[in-house]
Amino acid sequence: MSEAYQNVEDAEEVQAVIKLEGVSFGYDPEHPILHNISLSIPRGQWVSIVGPNGCGKSTLVKLMNALLPKSGGEITICGHQLGEETIGAIRQCIGMVFQNPDNQFIGATVEEDILFGLEGLCLSYAEMEERLRAYTVKLGIEDLLSKHPGELSGGQKQRVAIASILAMKPGIVIFDEASSMLDEASRDELLRILQGMRAEGQYTILMITHDADEILASDRVLALHGGGLAADTTPQKLFRNIELLEKCHLLEPYPWRLARELQSRGIRVDVPASEKELIDTLWPYN
Amino acid sequence: MNERLLLGRSIETGSWVHKLDARSKLTGMLLYVAVILLSDSWPSMALLAAFSIAVMASTRIPLKYFIKAAKPLRYLMLFIFIVQLLSVKAGDVLWSAGSFSLHEGGLRLAAFSVIRMLFLITFTALLTFTTTPGKLNQGLEGILSPFKKLGLSPDRITLMISIALRFIPTILDEAQIIMKAQASRGADLQELPLKEKARMLVSLLVPVISSAFRRAQDLVYSMEARGFRMDAPRSRYHRLRWGAADTVFVAMFVIMGVAVALL
Repeated sequence: MSEAYQNVEDAEEVQAVIKLEGVSFGYDPEHPILHNISLSIPRGQWVSIVGPNGCGKSTLVKLMNALLPKSGGEITICGHQLGEETIGAIRQCIGMVFQNPDNQFIGATVEEDILFGLEGLCLSYAEMEERLRAYTVKLGIEDLLSKHPGELSGGQKQRVAIASILAMKPGIVIFDEASSMLDEASRDELLRILQGMRAEGQYTILMITHDADEILASDRVLALHGGGLAADTTPQKLFRNIELLEKCHLLEPYPWRLARELQSRGIRVDVPASEKELIDTLWPYN
Repeated sequence: MNERLLLGRSIETGSWVHKLDARSKLTGMLLYVAVILLSDSWPSMALLAAFSIAVMASTRIPLKYFIKAAKPLRYLMLFIFIVQLLSVKAGDVLWSAGSFSLHEGGLRLAAFSVIRMLFLITFTALLTFTTTPGKLNQGLEGILSPFKKLGLSPDRITLMISIALRFIPTILDEAQIIMKAQASRGADLQELPLKEKARMLVSLLVPVISSAFRRAQDLVYSMEARGFRMDAPRSRYHRLRWGAADTVFVAMFVIMGVAVALL
């Protein structure tokens, strides 16, 4: 983990690794894409960012990493207030996995792609060797090192992108709709990787998603609408708020919808329900 | 392996050529170009062919891969052959019909041009087959490093080359998809007459270029998110090491050049 990320911990309280105060962004001041966003994310939290297309989700995370310049407000990442001189330090704290696995593959081979970030950190050969081995094994891509991007599936490419980011030990990892171009199996695989990262307890995860399972797996949901923060809530509360769901163009998780349908037909089943709860309830009817 | 992607891909066999420093291979390549241009007789061409085939065989990569690499340029070679054959009026007349005639000198020059081009392509393929793009870039960076004093940035040049090489197959795939999408809506480029084809090409180029710009923007985000800064110091995982084999490799081309000049 980057030093700055590890230092963000206090004996008394858990400090925020990401802090935004009145942040705005827009090309035209009359019509900002994001306006007055304030939020604080403590270390170790898994946060889903939801909202309809074009509401500013990707813009928001790009502002955090200085990939886009903010129009106003203050952004503090791991204690560094975002400015020209702190960009390097902030980018060492934040890693980003993007939507299109093809467009983020920088190297000509898997090995070169992972080494791209490590060489930029000016690490020693031994350190690069160790991280290359550790993170390719962790992501199950140790046999793909000499492969070209064209020889990999979408899921494999996304695993390479994650390995490239994690090998840089960023602490905060942002997934910008990283699962939206993947098939079901690869999506499940990504979710398992994220759950593994959470189990390690070291990462702060921000995930832009429209997927109900991914939202349910997170600790907190930030809902954006019309360039503003419409809600800062938990996944369970989000899925109980039909109005907010409609605003964010989201559907309830499948077991929830099924449970509601069963309720309407007189079968006694609790909502919210997990798949297992649903099966347990329905089993006696067999 | 996809035929059109063959040039630019490394094929690992662990041969002695694979193990050479990329700088020696690039230097050998430059000397080879000079030798090709020097050879202007059938004996020197034969010697060059024997030398080229011997070096290719020593890579343990099947020769058919080298031929496949040259295949996409066969029409260009045919075009060059015809142009040379028709335009050069030197030597004995081989065949004539009215004011139109083919000369021995024209045939010789046309054959030499095509053979030279074939050698050049297959040997470029040898360079890319035996060297990963990363090592090739590092080698190029090493060779260009003396030009830093003249204000040239080898890092920028090699970065541009590596990204261009990386995205060629992606953009070709994209062009194929757009062509198929247009064909599915009744605009099949293959079926159209030449004039229409040229007009339709514009409607293909616009989406391909716009998509390339979008990809470039995404790539910039990805590189910056991984902390990339132009001209910032970087460490190297693969280190270039010049050994005795590299000196032998370069010397082979020098000897070859001398032999060709003498013939």
